This record gives sequence, C-alpha cells and structure tokens, in this order.
Amino acid sequence: MTNSSSQSETLQITHISKRYGSGTTEVTAVRDVSLAVNAGEIVLIMGPSGSGKTTLLSMLGALLKPTDGTIQLNETTISDLTENRLPAIRLKQFGFIFQDFNLLSALTALENVAIVAELAGSKSGAARRKAASILIELGLGERLNFLPEKLSGGEKQRVAIARALVNEPTLILADEPTANLDSKIGHEIMRLLRRIAKEQGRSVVIVSHDQRIKDIADRVLWLEDGEFKETVIMAVDPVCGMSIERDKTIRGEWEGQVFYFCAQGCRDEFLNDPRKFIGAVS
Amino acid sequence: MIWLAYRNLFQNKARLVISIGGVALALLLVLSLDAIFTGVERQVTAYIEASGADIWVSQADVFNMHMAASSLPDSVARKVKHVPGVASVSPILYLTNNLVAGDERNLAYIIGLPEDAELGVPWKISAGHNLPAKGEVIMDRHVAEKSGISLGEEVEILGKKYKVAGFSEGTASLVNSIAFISMEDFEDMRGSYNTFSYLLVKVRDGESPEVVAARIQAQVEEVTAQTKNRFAMQEHKVVKDMSTDVITIMNLIGFLIGLAVMALTVYTSTLSRRREYGMLKALGARNTDLYLTVLAQAILSVMLGFLFGLVITLILSQAVPLFGSNLRLELSQISMLKVGSLSLVIAAISAMIPIRQIAGLDPAMVFRGR
Repeated sequence: MTNSSSQSETLQITHISKRYGSGTTEVTAVRDVSLAVNAGEIVLIMGPSGSGKTTLLSMLGALLKPTDGTIQLNETTISDLTENRLPAIRLKQFGFIFQDFNLLSALTALENVAIVAELAGSKSGAARRKAASILIELGLGERLNFLPEKLSGGEKQRVAIARALVNEPTLILADEPTANLDSKIGHEIMRLLRRIAKEQGRSVVIVSHDQRIKDIADRVLWLEDGEFKETVIMAVDPVCGMSIERDKTIRGEWEGQVFYFCAQGCRDEFLNDPRKFIGAVS
Repeated sequence: MIWLAYRNLFQNKARLVISIGGVALALLLVLSLDAIFTGVERQVTAYIEASGADIWVSQADVFNMHMAASSLPDSVARKVKHVPGVASVSPILYLTNNLVAGDERNLAYIIGLPEDAELGVPWKISAGHNLPAKGEVIMDRHVAEKSGISLGEEVEILGKKYKVAGFSEGTASLVNSIAFISMEDFEDMRGSYNTFSYLLVKVRDGESPEVVAARIQAQVEEVTAQTKNRFAMQEHKVVKDMSTDVITIMNLIGFLIGLAVMALTVYTSTLSRRREYGMLKALGARNTDLYLTVLAQAILSVMLGFLFGLVITLILSQAVPLFGSNLRLELSQISMLKVGSLSLVIAAISAMIPIRQIAGLDPAMVFRGR
C-alpha cells in the first residue's frame, strides 16, 4: 500500500484487486492495491513483465473494472459508474499516451488532436484552433498538416501528448512513453511530461521499464505479483539537478525547508548561498 | 467523424479503386439493364405514341398490340365515326411476321395502311415516301442497312415480294421492327377482306379523348376503346410482365455482386484499422461515433460507385446508337431512384459486420500491444 501525504489528491484508488477466471483457474492480476496521486505529481510504476502493470493502468484509465475496491477521480467514484458513462469520463478526465503512439494514420497531426476535442463536444473550428495552439506550444507548428508517416518518432509522441492534453484532463496515463524513442528524444519527452505536470498541475501516472524516467518522477512504485513492493520517493538535487532517491540522499535545511543532495559537496555549495539554487527545485 | 471516414476511404488508393470500381460495375449492370428495358419499352410503344391517334379501338377484350390479335368488321368503323366527338377514323391491319431481306429474317410488325391513311403512318422518313402503294413496303432504315437492302430492291413478307419504297426512322427495336404495306396487299396476303385490326381515332378539337373513348365503349358493341396513353400503358405492361423475371434476376445478381464487393472492402478496411478504432474507444469515442464512421465510409464508397455507374451508363446510352445498333438505353428517374436506394441498402448491409466487430472491441487492447 502506498499513499502520498499531499492534501490535493486527484486520484485515489483504495484496495483494488482484479481477478480473472474463477475456481482453480482464477488468476489475480492486481491484489489489494491502494494509491493516491496528487495534482501535479508524476508517479512512475515499474515492475517485471506480468506484474500487473497493464491491468492496473487499464483500471486507472476506466478501461477495466476492478473486481474489488474503488477508484476515485476528483471525488467521482469511477469504479461504480455504468459502462455507458465511462467514455465521457475517459474523454474529459483522462489523457492517454501510448508506447507506439497510436495516431490515426489517415489524419494529419492537427486532425489527430482535433478529433479528440470534437468527440468531447467542441465544434470543428474550435477543436482545430485548440489543437493547433497545443501543437504549436509543443514545437510542432511546422508539422500541423503532416500525416503520421511523415513525422519522426519524437514528433509522433508529441502529437500523442498534444492529443492527451487537448481536453484538459485531470490525469495523464502513459504506457511506456519512451519505449520507441531514442535516448535523446526520450529525454525530451520526459522533460515535456514533467513540464506539463508542474506547470499545468496535471497528475501523470507512467508505466515503464525505462529507468531514465526515474529522473522526472516524484515517486517510483515497484509492482510485483500484482502488489506494490517498494516505494521510492524521488527528489532533485537543487545544485546539480540530479534526480535522486530521497531515502539515499544527504539532507540539508534552510529556512525550515528540507532539501536533498546527491553528495556532501552539493550540500555545502547550496548552504553557502541557498538563494542561488532555489529556482532549480521544481 | 465524417471526415475520418472520408480520409480513411481515400488513404488507400488501391482499396478505393477496387471498392468503388466493383460497386460501379455491379450498379452499372443494374442501371444499364434498366436502361435497356426502358429503351425497349419506349421503342415498343413508339408506333402507338407517334400514330397521331387520340383513341385506339380494338376487338373486345383486346387491350394492346404485342402478342395480340384484333379483328373488327368494317361496320364498326362506320359506327365509331358517328360517335359524337369523333373527328376521323383510320383503320389499320396488323400482324407479326418475318420480313425477309436478302439472307436476313427480321421479326416485324406488319402494318397495312389504307391509301389515304392520315393516322398510323411512318412518322419519320429518311428516304423514299411514307405511304406504301400496292406492291410496296416502307421498312426501317437500320434493318435495311443491316441486310444490305437499298431503295427499289425487294423484300419478302409471307412469301410475297414487295419493292422497298421508303425507309422509316425510329421503327426498330432490339427485338423487332415495323414494316408498312398497303391495306390491299395485306388483305390479299391474309385472304380476308372487310375487317380491320385496329381503328385509330382522332377526336374533335376541344373534346377529351377520355370522354370520347367512354362514349365509343358505351355506344359501339364488341369493342375496346382506350385513349392512346392507356393503350400505350397496356403495351408497356405486357412488355414489363414478360421481362420482370429477367430484370429481377439481373438486379439481384448486380445487388449481390455490389454487396459482396462492398462488404469485403468495408470489412477489410475496418479490420486493418481495428487497433485505431480500439484506440478511439479507449480515448472515449462512443460506439455510435465509430458505427457512423464505418457507415459513412460505406455510404461514401457506394455513392461514388453509383455516380461512376451512372456516368458510364449515360456514356453508353449516347455511344451505343453511334455504332448502328438498334439498342436504345434510356435512364429513367425511377431507375436512378431504385438503384440509388439499392446502393444505400448495400452500404447499410456491408457496414453491419464491421460494426459488430467494433462493438466487440475491448478498448483496453491499446495497452496490451494487440
């Protein structure tokens, strides 16, 4: 069981389990998992294949009903909603980012984003304006009318991110968002996700095998046999910017606030002139 | 979602060509068959329509010309002439037989005309004259050209030779033509005198053909009096009754071909985009949104196929007569409406299986890499 201590919880899952089959063939994919995700928080869920990550992600995204437990999103218990109410919730409250981008091959970058806004009820013109604005913000202003086949992997994933953002969701769910990207582009995408979480206050839950994502996560959860086995709370060294596991760091206090450092040198440098580094912590 | 359907349709050009081409060919079959039969119907009644008569009088219980025989004593003509509202009465004799021209035997309506006939005469002559004298025949120009017959040459009807004195236009159809001989020759050939097949009646100015036909029917015994339109309609009906089964079977074949082509292309198109539809479901698209996309795609394909079929049929209807054929293709509004409706049925049915596929899609598939 893992809980965050923040007060502005966006997502609250309580004792959820998912079982398939029955009797001797019953398989428990997720077992009594609880989790709270705060606004603007990035949670990374890692674990070996078959650990239940996909099942958990599907339940978080209202694509699969838990066998037991409840899932609350902004005080709406989505696990209790009927099937016909879920599409609207998914459309307006969730943003999905997939491993292989899943863009509609016949539509341009702009249309791929606009169609999701239209499905949510926006008029065609408004949907296109909104889509264009997000794509331009994500650096795709020159690619608006390109078909997916003409875009690079990083560009495709940015289109997918724009699509996830177009209906201003509360929660972004990302399934292996860097798996099909090279290291440099993967880093760019991670930084982009962090910027979105921190600047727009959106919660982000990422399922991935990619260790590099730890750098942008606020918390890392290890899922194994359908249960969270380990929680690592991450922190950023304000001096060198390195992402570090909070429990393994050197602490330092300034004006009643605790800061975390990768090494004694960084701590000393910080304490000599804290104001110089405060902006580095986000 | 309509533009998604449009984009999906136009993304794969090869599939688009197969789907639209297949549907166009299937609908072309139905459209052109309809056009042929409409043309034949029109040709079959061309003589009635162009006869100049307002009313056709035949033997009691005889309602048309095709596959029918009518015999009226000449006294009937006198009685009809005295019915109020009748301006003139012109008798004709009629039978169906072969016109032998050279080595060719052509099925023909043989019409016997009095020497002073004003009604029922050939309405357009391209060469020679339009009223046959004794020993003469006026025959269709197309049939004559096909048989290599020139003006002044002889053709044979019921074993008797006639000199070709004129060529008529618009008097041949896919199945037969019309040949005009004098009434005297007709009577000699048949060996029966003082009887007519039909009486062609012209009504006085200001008189209604319906009213005058009703008067004839009431005042003259043992006859059937019908307005020209009614008589033509009866002729249409006979032709239609004879061809309905053929048209139905060919329409069904066209429908099934169109349906098979469409169903296959919509099915494969949807199958190839299964993951995309699953992704849209995961993002929050409702099933109805996706059904509409598939249906719109099918309707767009079929409508494009219908338009192509229509254009090709129109081109054929203009081109076929240029090759000297007696075949006439005439597209009627009813036929276009029928085939248009048929197209929509094809679209709706062909979208059904893919729609069932989409309904069964699990949106969680997007996370499972399926």
